[in-house]
Amino acid sequence: MSPYPLWLENLLQTLATGIMVGGTYALMCVGLGLIFGVMRVINFAQGDFLMLGMYAAFYAFTYLGVGAVFGVYFGPIVAAFLAGPIVFVIAWFLHWLLLARVSGTAAQGAEAEGHYAQLILTLGIALVLQNGGLLIFGSWPQSIRTPLSNEAWFIEPVFFNKSRMVAFCVALGVALVLYLFMNRSGYGKALRAAADNPDAAIYMGIDVNRAHRLAFAIGIAVTAIAGGLVAMYYPFQPYVGLEFVIIMYTGVVLGGLGSIMGAFWGGMTVGLVQQLSTLVLPIQLQNTAIFVVFLLIVLFRPQGLFGRSVERM
Amino acid sequence: MLKIEKLQVSYGGLRALSEVSLEVGQGEFVAVVGPNGAGKTTLFKSISGTVPVESGRITLDGADLLAVPPARRAHLGLAHVPEGRQVFSSMTVLENLEMGAHTAAGKANWEENIAQIYQLFPRLKDRTRQLAGTLSGGEQQMLAIGRGLASAPRILMLDEPSLGLAPAVADDIFEVVQHIHQERGLAILLVEQRVAEALESCDRGYVLESGRTVLTGTHETLVSDRRVQQSYLGM
Ligand SMILES: Nc1ncnc2c1ncn2[C@@H]1O[C@H](COP(=O)(O)OP(=O)(O)OP(=O)(O)O)[C@@H](O)[C@H]1O
Ligand SMILES: [Mg+2]
Repeated sequence: MSPYPLWLENLLQTLATGIMVGGTYALMCVGLGLIFGVMRVINFAQGDFLMLGMYAAFYAFTYLGVGAVFGVYFGPIVAAFLAGPIVFVIAWFLHWLLLARVSGTAAQGAEAEGHYAQLILTLGIALVLQNGGLLIFGSWPQSIRTPLSNEAWFIEPVFFNKSRMVAFCVALGVALVLYLFMNRSGYGKALRAAADNPDAAIYMGIDVNRAHRLAFAIGIAVTAIAGGLVAMYYPFQPYVGLEFVIIMYTGVVLGGLGSIMGAFWGGMTVGLVQQLSTLVLPIQLQNTAIFVVFLLIVLFRPQGLFGRSVERM
Repeated sequence: MLKIEKLQVSYGGLRALSEVSLEVGQGEFVAVVGPNGAGKTTLFKSISGTVPVESGRITLDGADLLAVPPARRAHLGLAHVPEGRQVFSSMTVLENLEMGAHTAAGKANWEENIAQIYQLFPRLKDRTRQLAGTLSGGEQQMLAIGRGLASAPRILMLDEPSLGLAPAVADDIFEVVQHIHQERGLAILLVEQRVAEALESCDRGYVLESGRTVLTGTHETLVSDRRVQQSYLGM
């Protein structure tokens, strides 16, 4: 028998799961945080783009032959990566077609800076994605079956589920690449400039509307990759986005609206809170615990726990 | 080089500029002076395209500037140093300068430009990694001008660079602007409320009041004009 007391074993196990789950949450939050930080648009459809990411990974894995080529171990990871560019293209197109008309320079001088129109539009996109998903994908829950989700690494006294561990590592890697992109590359810096001061960015010759489109598409793509990773151990259907929207908003608000790094730590915290709550609360209440955290933050620390507000990315 | 003809701009029915005409020649230093609310900033914003123009023409080297999307105008050689500095406060000094060099000309001459900018404003050189939002007002103004210069412009547009600065710091800034103009022959369009300093350095000037040009002329005619002396120079 294990030399550790049961309560300690439980606590360590829950912490480990919380951190692993938190990594994927952190990645989705970073995507949402990027969009809000650059565009100042509240995107209600973020969860549904996550759902699209899950299905994109699923179809890439099953029908595009990714599973056949890369096998059941690496296939799901490759499929999750592929969800990024696929959903990127969809988001780019939707921004060009719809969102650009009510945000960016088009929203300057509009009523409430165009926020009403943006809310209604992203809500509309969410509904279309959900119902379109139902029509195309069906309501039957799917999952990307991989033997990884039934295997674990064991480091006394904690089990690390392999699919969660892999998802965690990949999510961290993608978040790191995004961080480097934003802080080192010319494109990333231009995005930050456009977020910081749109008028001044135009004076520098930065096309702010294009910057918004890029930020929107990258933010969606990153969330979609997170979706593809979660799909390895979480069954999904077209309404699954609703379950994650609350997680993403809590993470982003925790991290301080507009701060990308803050969103990362916010998402991580949500994962921990969600898992730790299962130690004291019935498992059905784990998302309620997140909502309580959300309310507490909004009431007592609206600038977030980690964010130095919008000052630093 | 830059030519504005009968420019008209309104905000929600209220006219801010009516029939304003103005010209900046190659290597010329042009000042626009006038009281608060005269429409000076509006004039700059219409050149840069962040305010919609009702009627009139703006041309650069004879080509219609109003047909060029706002974000492309910097690439044609216009550097707008806006009122209130508007630095990217969440980015470092160096990153701000890099954003200035977003234009092709700015990228091509980056090494050379940055060396010159640091020579003009040594205080920026000591603070390359500092966040622009934490700079003092004077340093932010230096950065705003440096950021404009980093684009390797053909016309530098300065909107009230002395705003909110201590007189000594403002004098330094004026001196640097003079220096840039004389050493490099860079064309300058300067908006100022400190009329004496602005008219002292310019080749030509315009007096703008309530959205109209009420007076225009060379440096000599303006400083010797009775109305200018009485209303602006306190003589
Ligand atoms: N966004 C706006 N909406 C409505 N009116 C505006 C707007 N911007 C400027 N105005 C008005 O246009 C007129 C000209 O303003 P502008 O800022 O161009 O003046 P200015 O000459 O730059 O003044 P100052 O010296 O104080 O900077 C003012 O009456 C101002 O109230
Ligand atoms: Mg002004």
